[in-house]
Amino acid sequence: MTPLLEADTVSFGYGARQVLRTVSLTLLPGEILGVIGPNGSGKTTLVRLLSGVLAPSAGTVRLAGRPLTAYRRREVARRLAVVPQDPTIDFPFTALEVVLMGRAPHLSALAFPRARDLAIAREAMARLEVAEVESRPLDRLSGGERQRVLLARALAKEAEVLLLDEPTTHLDLRHQAGIHDVARALARERGHAVVSVLHDLNLAALFCDRLMLLARGVVVGQGSPEAVLTVDALQQAYQTQVYVGRNERTGAPVVLPLPRR
Amino acid sequence: MRRALAVLLLAGCSASSPGPGSSGPPARVVSLAPSITEIVYALGEGGRLVGVCAQCDHPPEVARIPRVGGYLTPSVEVVLATRPDLVIAVPSPGNREAVRALERVGVRMLVVHDRTLADLWTSIAQVADALGVPGAGERLVGYVAGRLDAVRTRVAGLAPRRVLVVVGHNPLIAVGGDNLQDELVTLAGGVNVAADAGATWPTLSLELVVARAPEVIVDAAMGSEATGEALFQALPNVPAVRAGRVVRLAGDTLLRAGPRVPDAAAALAAAIHPEAFQPAPTGITPRAG
Amino acid sequence: MSVRAPYLTPGRLTATTAALALLLLASIVGAVLVGPVPASLWRALGQGGTSSADYTILFRTRLPRVLLGAVVGGSLGAAGAALQALLRNPLACPHLLGISGGAAVAGVLALLAGADALSPLVPFAAFLGAIGAIVIVTLGARADGRTTPHAILLVGVVFNALAAAALMLVNTLSSYLQAQGVLFWIMGSLSTQSYTLVAAAAAYAVAGLAWLLRHALDLNLLAAGEEGALQLGVDVERARRAVFVAASLLVGAAVSMSGMIGFVGLIVPHLLRLLLGPDHRLLLPASFLGGGAFLMWADSLARTMLGPAELPVGVVTALTGGPFFLYLLHRDLRRALG
Repeated sequence: MTPLLEADTVSFGYGARQVLRTVSLTLLPGEILGVIGPNGSGKTTLVRLLSGVLAPSAGTVRLAGRPLTAYRRREVARRLAVVPQDPTIDFPFTALEVVLMGRAPHLSALAFPRARDLAIAREAMARLEVAEVESRPLDRLSGGERQRVLLARALAKEAEVLLLDEPTTHLDLRHQAGIHDVARALARERGHAVVSVLHDLNLAALFCDRLMLLARGVVVGQGSPEAVLTVDALQQAYQTQVYVGRNERTGAPVVLPLPRR
Repeated sequence: MRRALAVLLLAGCSASSPGPGSSGPPARVVSLAPSITEIVYALGEGGRLVGVCAQCDHPPEVARIPRVGGYLTPSVEVVLATRPDLVIAVPSPGNREAVRALERVGVRMLVVHDRTLADLWTSIAQVADALGVPGAGERLVGYVAGRLDAVRTRVAGLAPRRVLVVVGHNPLIAVGGDNLQDELVTLAGGVNVAADAGATWPTLSLELVVARAPEVIVDAAMGSEATGEALFQALPNVPAVRAGRVVRLAGDTLLRAGPRVPDAAAALAAAIHPEAFQPAPTGITPRAG
Repeated sequence: MSVRAPYLTPGRLTATTAALALLLLASIVGAVLVGPVPASLWRALGQGGTSSADYTILFRTRLPRVLLGAVVGGSLGAAGAALQALLRNPLACPHLLGISGGAAVAGVLALLAGADALSPLVPFAAFLGAIGAIVIVTLGARADGRTTPHAILLVGVVFNALAAAALMLVNTLSSYLQAQGVLFWIMGSLSTQSYTLVAAAAAYAVAGLAWLLRHALDLNLLAAGEEGALQLGVDVERARRAVFVAASLLVGAAVSMSGMIGFVGLIVPHLLRLLLGPDHRLLLPASFLGGGAFLMWADSLARTMLGPAELPVGVVTALTGGPFFLYLLHRDLRRALG
């Protein structure tokens, strides 16, 4: 099975400063990959390389077997959706207008959304429980609602690959679980693939099929949550003492930081 | 303050206090306006001028006198470098700071006004007094007033005509009321249709020109005759345009409140009542109907 | 603020645009009938004929001027809406970016070089100045092949400051009456009698608006964030350049013909965005129509407020737009803090 998304020894740097060094990953349809690591480890840069915003200084990113650069812009837009970290929007678009933007890669320049586009947009909003605020301008929404609207926009694209950069920052417990349930449903039902950059290691352990641990621009661990979330690996990457246990209900690892005494 | 200090250094070792002006008539005079320069020459004292503004161009002898900056922007340093005993100025939109700076440094300053005819008589008298030739001042006033009377007499008895005097094309700027140019129009046998539009150079909308229906339009604006032509041709039912009485007045004598106002008055009168002036004096280009 | 539909439908677009177009037409008629001099449309069309005073006033002095106001106001309104989206700043003003300054300086230099105030050489020179400014600002703002809104704003503001200084320099060097000509550029004037000029301006403005409309959807996406727009399929660099050039050409043409008239391109798009929403497929034509109506009314006030003398139209737009702008700013600040 061809991987849906692939990074083949990509590197990225500004001059002497290398942000990422020979990072490789493969993402198969239906998979959820969690990217974890301390601040500055290059997680966001990796997402931007995978989405094509940045070009790697070495290595290739491939979408469905072909290099990203070989695709036309709109095709990439249709097949790959990114939810960036907390952008600010200064214009009073309504939530529904924002979600409808997700349909833009499927519409021609001046076309108006058709009934089908509206249905898809509304369904995405319903899945993320922001259907009631569809008429409200974005600046009137709470941080969490706004984040879910942007997620809905990504879902409305019906893209095969979903890249999430810290999607849970403003979300409470209910919605933290909620969006990952949605992501998982998409992965299982439609064979979509998801890359989720997460700060919360437990969330990552719970929802992701595989994890990739980045530290200082290099991959220091890749595999199942149990394999990656070991005390040694985590202490090395995060430079702090940790406790790793097990979630009795789900069997997933649980990671907690330890006080430095 | 810094500037004044720098200026003092530049002025060298000459006394920074008022020069010998306090005792005896000033020997070194600077004029900061073209009208003042003409008055000084008309008083016969042109020899005392050691500095004039850049726009001073009359009489021809003034060409050899050094320039001290513009009418709007005189240069304090250059004025001081001429070591004047007396500086004469007219209030202009740009020279207030320069005048104040000169006063602060202690230069003897005479400010005269030029808004109305009455101002003109007063300023001639003041300049003559300051130069120590009051008699010449009186004679000059008499001479200029007499020439003005001559113009007035020439058009006396003729029915006054409605006049618009234009000094700018775009925006359309006219001579307003309550100033010297307006008085000259009246003296020349005209009625200024824009007299109620404010004292200083009002901007007029074209429809007002149509509504006020001037019988004569005097085009004293800079720029070519063709522009004025184009501007007024589009208003064919204005009486002045219909009768071909759009008269071009070259040069800026009209704007100078000096001893040549009778020339401007005569030019205006010839434009307004051409039938009383055959042949037309120089400086006038009447338009054929 | 106001309740509006959650998204734009073709129906709503046509209805709103039609309503605004009617408002524009009504404003044209209204503005022609208003002035410091009473003039009767009835008389002009009836007994007087084409040589009557009423006809001359209404159709030779007022109508061309009112139409020019509509075109210039429309150009500034549409350009303002586009530039606010481009710069991601709902309070940006089209004169901020130096294009107007470039046009004004070139126009004034043409005047000083001896061109007549009414010669078509002057607006032509001004337009070349605007193009020059566009080139300089675009090149100056480009770094690593990217033209960010931030860079455009910085370079534009600096260029504007330089142009303002150049205008002041010219002001001091010229005679008192030449300085009045400079005032035309700084405060604006819609006075014209030439239907040819108005027709040319209108054709130009409509072409510019059409070019902007092609990128209306791009503007929506850009306004919602650059990275978002990129991954929604927008060629951000090309769209930005196209919009900047189209909007700047609109501004340049407007300024060449009527000087720098401020606040139209700032207030009209901002207000319409609050009322109609930020979808540029509606906002662009709405700002065009609304800008035209606003400027016509401002010019009517300029013509009538002071009796026989008239105010520069830029003074009226500043006096009406300025306080409103302060109110909007105050509201925004309050919302940001509270």
